[in-house]
Amino acid sequence: MTKQTQERKYVPELPQKESEELRNAAKAMSAKVIAENIERMKKTNPQRPALMQYYDEIADFFGRRQKEIQEEKAKGKKVIGYFCMFAPIELILAADAIPVRVNSGWYDTSKLGDRIVPVEVCPVIRSTIGAKMISLSPYLELSDALISTLTCDGQTKLSEIMSDYTQVITMSPPRVKDSPQSLHLWKEEIKSVKTQIEELTGNKITNKKLREAIETMQKATKAFRRLQDLRKGNPVIMGRDAMLVNQTATWDNIKRWTEKTEELCNELEKRVQQKMWACPPDTPRVLVTGTPMYWPDNWKLPTLIEEATPQGVLVADELCSSDRLLYDPVGVDEWTMDDMLNAISERYLMASTCPCFTSTDGNEDRINWLKNKIKEFNVNGVIYYVVRGCMLYAMEYARIKKALDKMNIPVYYLDTEYTREDVGQMKTRVEAFLEMLTARVDF
Amino acid sequence: MKEKVADTKEYWRWQEYHYVVPNKSWKSKDVITAGVDVGSVGSKAAIMIDGEVYAWAITRTGSNSPDSAKKVMDMVLDGTGLKQSDIKYTVGTGYGRVNVPMANKAITEIACHAKGANYIWGSKVRTILDVGGQDIKAIHCDETGRVTSFLMNDKCAAGTGRGMEVFADLLKIPIEEIGQVSLSIDEEPPPVSCTCVAFAKTEAVGLLRKGWTKEKVLAAYTRAMAIRMANLVNRVGLEREFVVTGGQSKNMGIVSRVENILGVKALPAPNWREGGLDPMVAGAIGAAALAKALYEKQGK
Repeated sequence: MTKQTQERKYVPELPQKESEELRNAAKAMSAKVIAENIERMKKTNPQRPALMQYYDEIADFFGRRQKEIQEEKAKGKKVIGYFCMFAPIELILAADAIPVRVNSGWYDTSKLGDRIVPVEVCPVIRSTIGAKMISLSPYLELSDALISTLTCDGQTKLSEIMSDYTQVITMSPPRVKDSPQSLHLWKEEIKSVKTQIEELTGNKITNKKLREAIETMQKATKAFRRLQDLRKGNPVIMGRDAMLVNQTATWDNIKRWTEKTEELCNELEKRVQQKMWACPPDTPRVLVTGTPMYWPDNWKLPTLIEEATPQGVLVADELCSSDRLLYDPVGVDEWTMDDMLNAISERYLMASTCPCFTSTDGNEDRINWLKNKIKEFNVNGVIYYVVRGCMLYAMEYARIKKALDKMNIPVYYLDTEYTREDVGQMKTRVEAFLEMLTARVDF
Repeated sequence: MKEKVADTKEYWRWQEYHYVVPNKSWKSKDVITAGVDVGSVGSKAAIMIDGEVYAWAITRTGSNSPDSAKKVMDMVLDGTGLKQSDIKYTVGTGYGRVNVPMANKAITEIACHAKGANYIWGSKVRTILDVGGQDIKAIHCDETGRVTSFLMNDKCAAGTGRGMEVFADLLKIPIEEIGQVSLSIDEEPPPVSCTCVAFAKTEAVGLLRKGWTKEKVLAAYTRAMAIRMANLVNRVGLEREFVVTGGQSKNMGIVSRVENILGVKALPAPNWREGGLDPMVAGAIGAAALAKALYEKQGK
């Protein structure tokens, strides 16, 4: 029996006409938001590097990259979509498949998701359901299978809902990060995913192929880190631009992305020499942590920060949609299959600061990441961003706040929804926070 | 048979006024600054001469911010002999701060209320509860009136001035008496369970049907709102001295219940009916004070 003829567990069939109308409206809105975001990024930094044009193109969901993937798919390549950053990209590449992240950043489709799940559910999940209901996301539609890591409750049930449409490969991460049996379980999950990817693609993941894939991703990590390092000094790139570069890595051709990003870093290094800053060097330096911010609608907070009066600049984040993505390389000792799989398991589990984990000392890895980033990037203030329904991030706030208080770093808890209606209120909060950060200089 | 006459009384309407401090005058060389606070419900303006409050005005915000700003500015200038061009620097604040045509700079109402409270009550103020027309803010500041942390409620009118106006209309009690009336009960009823204005209204109608007096219903609503405000203050961290600003600072039903829940007395508000500085204008006063600082910084 094929997927189409199976009875759906969750999602009712939308009448074709309604689905089409909704898709066209959402697509038009998405095109508008993407164009507006890019326009505003250009306006904020009139000297925005010309090389950003490349990422602007890749950021168009319905443009160049969609076409490329379609063409490769027509030649027989498989596309594997994934939700959290736990999906082992190296294994997907080693099987000659195309990895592409598919979490939805569209506000409007969250209202559609409300037809299936209650509004209390995290909007990232509701929006992804909605996008699938009207076939909005090209990457979701092109995916031959989806890798879903059961990180939070929403993601767990989302996997079931998605299996109404597409084959879903689930991965169950252990909740306790620092126990030996956890790493063992996780390694077994990685092995199982490897087998499932091989079955799906019909390609065997050989030693040689996997080594190549690991080396490809190590190069990407190098470029990625180089870009983040450039953000440690005076602002040479606006935070939104860096976020766009980081995030496009999750759906672009990674080799090309690496080349382009090295080029961008060359340009930025020149600018550091010339002291050509993206904004005044005394602009308050903000770090954002919390719920991931997916393109395009979730540019709301970064835009508010960088267009505020007084202006702020996003110098770093602790988001699994940006600075955390490619930060850690897979570290291999010996290029045997077993050792490579070990290294992959460790990289995806141990390096993660996702609040779905706990350990002997809670999620101390996240606190350490934040502390280090605050020092290295000379951060003046932290905005803790949570969308309503994102329970794990919301609950961890109290502890993070205490840790940051000890460092005398102001932190502001900002909660929002997948909506454009609260921009006015958010603006007041963000501006008051930035005023607070600049107060010592200004008044 | 007597025909039923529709009740057209505007119970929600509060007093719009302007005030000029007597026995005070200005010379053209003085640093004259202004603060214009365009809130969602009320627009406020204050004028300072060399950093001291000279006049203020309060009016209802109209359908657009620039007009409301002009209207309240005209009101505050009235009777001072000052012209718009005499004002050296103006700071716009409040929800409509970016749409204040005469403003040299926009600053959030959070910074302005802290500065304004510092001016009204002095350097000992540490915690400010600002209850405006559409939102509630709990603010922490240092001895100079600089914000050190703050919290703001989400997009919901519960417990705010606008919510109180809705209740004044529903219960047919003039808004300026609402505090006294809510306190005129023998025993405090349990708070209403819904904090959302729309739902609370439905709940209130149900309670009236059940035979509750309107005083009791009002007390139950006021209590629920006070709990919400006290929670916000506790979350930001209550440190003395504590003050209440914004329109609801005039609602004794709110202030006394918040004090009761927090176990701390707020510093008493000056009596605005006798020319005391009106805590509802704290934002505009703070804006005028910051305007002076910015003007002087600019001159350097």
